[in-house]
Amino acid sequence: MSRDGARSVLRHFGTIAGFAALIVFNLAPIVWSVRTSLMAPSDIFAYPPKWLDFAITLEHYERIVKSGYFQTFRNSIAYSLAAIAIGLIVGLLAAYGFDRFRFLGKKAMFFLVVFCIPLSMGSSALIIPNYLYFSKLGLLDGWFTLPLLYTAYNLPMAIWIIKSGVEAIPVEIDEAAKIDGCSRFRFIFGIVAVLSRPVLAAAALFIFLGSWNEFILSSIMINKPDLRPVQLAIYQYLGFFGQEWGPLTAAASVAIVPSIVIFTFLGRMLISGLTAGSVKS
Amino acid sequence: MKESRLGAVLVAPSILFLIVILIVPLIYTVYNSFFDLRFLQMGDFLGFKNYAAVFRNREIWHSLGLTIIVTFAGLAISIVVGMLMAVWIHSCQGLTAYFLQIIVLIPWVISMVVGALLWKWLFNTMGPINYLLNAWGYGNVDILANPRLAPCALIFVMAWRTVGFAMVLILAGLKSVPKDLEEAAEVDGANRWNVFWRVRLPLLKTPVMIASVILLLSNFNNVDVPMVLTGGGPGNATNVITMELYRQGFVYYDFGIASALSFITLLINVVLIVLYMKVVKYDV
Repeated sequence: MSRDGARSVLRHFGTIAGFAALIVFNLAPIVWSVRTSLMAPSDIFAYPPKWLDFAITLEHYERIVKSGYFQTFRNSIAYSLAAIAIGLIVGLLAAYGFDRFRFLGKKAMFFLVVFCIPLSMGSSALIIPNYLYFSKLGLLDGWFTLPLLYTAYNLPMAIWIIKSGVEAIPVEIDEAAKIDGCSRFRFIFGIVAVLSRPVLAAAALFIFLGSWNEFILSSIMINKPDLRPVQLAIYQYLGFFGQEWGPLTAAASVAIVPSIVIFTFLGRMLISGLTAGSVKS
Repeated sequence: MKESRLGAVLVAPSILFLIVILIVPLIYTVYNSFFDLRFLQMGDFLGFKNYAAVFRNREIWHSLGLTIIVTFAGLAISIVVGMLMAVWIHSCQGLTAYFLQIIVLIPWVISMVVGALLWKWLFNTMGPINYLLNAWGYGNVDILANPRLAPCALIFVMAWRTVGFAMVLILAGLKSVPKDLEEAAEVDGANRWNVFWRVRLPLLKTPVMIASVILLLSNFNNVDVPMVLTGGGPGNATNVITMELYRQGFVYYDFGIASALSFITLLINVVLIVLYMKVVKYDV
């Protein structure tokens, strides 16, 4: 009894410590930022801090809207959607090609895809190369600059994820469709795409997060204010608003809404994509 | 599987994308690293002089050493905390387990810019952390302006961001440990502690390896967090290699040196990438 008792006390202690840690480290920073964004400037730096007894104001949100924040929002959405569309189409073709056919150079090409997964994750070695190359080709600061880069950076992972779904589709379906006279492209974008909806959604989610959260490439490639994505805008606010934490936290709070909402509903998909992408059994 | 050219046709657009946008620039950079490229003006051929300059530069050595410390310290924290979280969540059921996973993953889902910004605000001298320090009788500490504490803060935020990622991979590994193996060990008289160390942990080797390699890459190459959190300061206390790379290029405009340094960081990355390809065991 006493050993079990001690174990159960330990267990409860562990559970409480776990919950406390999650609340303090993972939720509190976000709550604190949202709280700051709703306070009048005089309350933000009040000492001792006003925990709850402050008047709610939306002035910081009005300020960032006036400074063109929603334009950057629209840009980021457009960039993400473009990368998702190209990534899924091109990625599905590649996944199907890799899974169903043998052809010259297949091994080398797949090696390239797998090599590019970690390469694009660790993008610091690519910052200067991409900048010099795009500047040489005159591709800097255009509406197409970031969609191109975001597609290329997220494509390897997308192919890898989609391939795990295409593998699960029986080859007999290919043959049945062929006998029925279905053309190859109609087959891929009709039947294969429909059958691999879960992996396509997981891939789309990855491309979205990768594009929406990307910062360093946009900061060196984009100069025109009209073309700025969200993360770059937030970084520039840091210089522009300086110690004015009201507008800064307002911008940060709005920027995480799409990620959090999508993640809450599609979290399972993200988790399965993460593990499919790295732990192959 | 059929032998067909169609396969190559289907794969071609993706391969083209990767070669044109990721691989060719790397080759172009090797070329650039042999030239004087200050202010983006193509100058004289320098041979290996840019590389020599990189190796002579003390700031770069300092920065490389710092990066290695930050990378491994962040990794260690992520793996240990991620392991604890995974074991805990593994013992929970259904919806509870799911929501815990979601909350642990939040820092990984939000952008690094926002994550670093949140902590920059919390570390502020007027923020809640300093308030608590004061309440416990300590003086004010400007964490991010202190050359000893700023690197710790950087490590903390990097680890904070990646705990969820480590947790997800380790949890998937835990789920794949066969139940009967654990039960057999218990029947043979092993206590829980022994079951964990002798049965589970050896089977978790692969997911831990994969998580470690990916997080090493991610920490080593992280530029967003230091850029927003400390900007490399105070002084050069948090000037990790990515910040130095950025400075050589976009502050000093010496793109010859920046290209040489890029190629060196690429080589370090390639070592990690080869490790990654070894542990993932991909095949077609």
